[in-house]
Amino acid sequence: MNNILLQVSNLSKTYKDKNYWFNRKCVTALDAISFEIMAHKTLAIVGETGSGKSTVAKLLVGAELPTTGQIKLNGQTLEPGNFKQRCQHVRMIFQDSGTTLNPSLTIEQLLNEPLQLNTNLDETERHQLIRETLQKVGLLADHMSFYPHMFSGGQKQRISLARAIILKPQVIILDEALASLDPSLRSQMINLLLDLQQQMGLAFILISHNLGIVRHFSDEMMVLDKGKVIEFGKTREILQKPKHKYTKRLIMSQHFQLLHK
Amino acid sequence: MNLIDIRNLSIELTTGTKPIFAVDRVNLTMKEGEVRGLVGESGSGKSLLAQAIVGVLDDKWRVDADRFHWRGNDLMRLSPAERKAIISKDVAMIFQEPMACLDPTTTIGEQLEEAVDVEQLTGFFWQKRQQRKQAAINLLHKVGIKKHEVCVKSYPHQLTDALCQRVMIAMALARRPILLIADEPTAAMESTNQGQIFRLLASLNQLKNMSILLISHDLENVTHWTNTITVMYSGQFVEAGTTEQIFNQPYHPYTRALVDSSPKANRLIPNKSRLMTLPGSIPILQHLPIGCRLGPRCPRAQQKCVHAPKIKNFHGHQVSCHFPLKDSYS
Repeated sequence: MNNILLQVSNLSKTYKDKNYWFNRKCVTALDAISFEIMAHKTLAIVGETGSGKSTVAKLLVGAELPTTGQIKLNGQTLEPGNFKQRCQHVRMIFQDSGTTLNPSLTIEQLLNEPLQLNTNLDETERHQLIRETLQKVGLLADHMSFYPHMFSGGQKQRISLARAIILKPQVIILDEALASLDPSLRSQMINLLLDLQQQMGLAFILISHNLGIVRHFSDEMMVLDKGKVIEFGKTREILQKPKHKYTKRLIMSQHFQLLHK
Repeated sequence: MNLIDIRNLSIELTTGTKPIFAVDRVNLTMKEGEVRGLVGESGSGKSLLAQAIVGVLDDKWRVDADRFHWRGNDLMRLSPAERKAIISKDVAMIFQEPMACLDPTTTIGEQLEEAVDVEQLTGFFWQKRQQRKQAAINLLHKVGIKKHEVCVKSYPHQLTDALCQRVMIAMALARRPILLIADEPTAAMESTNQGQIFRLLASLNQLKNMSILLISHDLENVTHWTNTITVMYSGQFVEAGTTEQIFNQPYHPYTRALVDSSPKANRLIPNKSRLMTLPGSIPILQHLPIGCRLGPRCPRAQQKCVHAPKIKNFHGHQVSCHFPLKDSYS
C-alpha cells in the first residue's frame, strides 16, 4: 500500500494588492506546504477562517494558480490551467448544495454536462452511467427528470456527490460538505462516503471544523493557522497528544463540552 | 412555580383544503433559573414554538393550546395588548444570523439606545439623554465588550459575527428579561466563538438567574450548557428530561439514533466504522405521516404506531412513544 496517489510539494499562494504601484502589499494566504495522500485514505484539514484551508482546496482543483510548488497525481505533474486533465481526477463538493446546483437544469442534464465535456461516451452510454451513479449514491433512476428544488437538503448533497464521482475521480475534496446537514442525514452521508471510499479507492480531503467528524473519518490531519502548517500527522495521535498551543485550544473548545458526561 | 407551562400546544397552518399541523400537541415547562435545550432537526417546528411563545406569528398560523401559562397567567385568555405588555417586559429573543438582524444603516450605539427601557431613566430630558448613553455602554460591558467607544460608533458590517451576537444579547438584556430565547445563537460560527457565546449565556444564567431556552439542531452542541432538554421531531414532542437522562439513557428511538449517530459523543466507536443511522429523510410539511411521525423511519415501529402515542412519564423523564427503550437499560 505504498503507492502515493497525490503528492503536493512546496505549494504556496500569495495575493498581491494591485491598487498601489509603489509599496505593493503581499498577503500570504498559504505558506509552502507539502503532503502526500494514498488511495483509500482521508486527509483532514482543520483551521479557523482565514487559516488558508479553502485556499488549499482551490489550488488543488485548479480554481487558483499557485505561486510556487507543484501537484503530482500518480507521479504525473498536474499543469496549472490544464482543466481537462485535472477535473477528471480531482473533484470537489461544496458546503451549500442548494446553491451549487443549477436550478434550471434537470438532474440528468446536470450530470450529463461533465460527461459531455470530459468523455467520448455516446448518449446511451451516458444515460446508463448516470443511472448507475444515481443508484450508487442511494437515489432512484426516476429522479433523473427532477429539478433540484424538488429534493431535500440531504438528497441535494447526494446529487452533488453523484456529480463528483461520475467521472470516476481519484481525489474528492469535501469543503465543509457535511456542515450544513442535519445530524441524522449527516451520519447517512458519512456512511455513504465511507462505502464509496471502500469500493472505488477514493482519497478524500476533508475540510471541516467539526473535530468529531474529523476524528471518525480521517486517517491523517493537518492543522493550519494563518497559512502555516502547525501540526501534521496521524489523526489519532494529534487528537490525543496535541503538541501546539493552537491545536490544544481548538480541541478544548469542542471536546470539553462532552468530557464530564 | 413554573415560569412557563405549555400543554398540548398546536400550531396550525390554515390552507385552502385542510389545515396542516406544523406543531402537533407539544408540551414545554420551564422553571425559573433553568437552561432548557430545545433540540430538533430542520422542520421540527422548534423555531415556530419559540415564535408562538413570543407571539410574533402572523395571521396564517393559528395557535391553540390546552394550557399556556406564563408565571400563572393564562396567556390564551388575555387580549393581545395585555399579552404583549407581559411578554415584551419579561421575554427577550435572539436570532440566528445576528448580522442580518441588526439595522445596517444605523450605528450600534443608536440601536442600543433605542432598546434601553424608558422606565429606568429619571430626571429631565437632558439628563435622560446622558443616562441613555450610559445605559447603552453599561449593556455592552455586561456582555463583555470592553472597547465600547469603538463598538458604539461602528456599523454592524464592521463587526465580526460573534461581536454582533454579543450586541444582540446586550439588546435583549436591556429590559432585564426573565426568559431569554436563543434561536440557534451560534449557527454558522467558528467553534472558538461558539464557546464564547455559550459561556456568556451560562454566566448570565448564573449571575442574574435568567432562564434560557436554547434552541439548536444539534444535540451534541448544547449538552454541556443545559440542565434539561426537550427533543422534537417533525412538529411532534419526542422526549424531555434532564440532560443526563437524555444523553445517557434516551428512551425514544429517535433520541437514541441522534446520540448514537454523533461521532463526537461516542468516543468508543472505531475509526471509519459505519455510524448508526435512521433510514429515509425528514418528511416535508405537505406529506406528514399519520400517528407518530417518526413511524416510517423508526426501527421499532409496529402497527400501533399509526396512532399518535400518549406521553408517558418516568420520574420526570417524559417520552412519547408506544415502545420506549426503557427496559433495555436495566
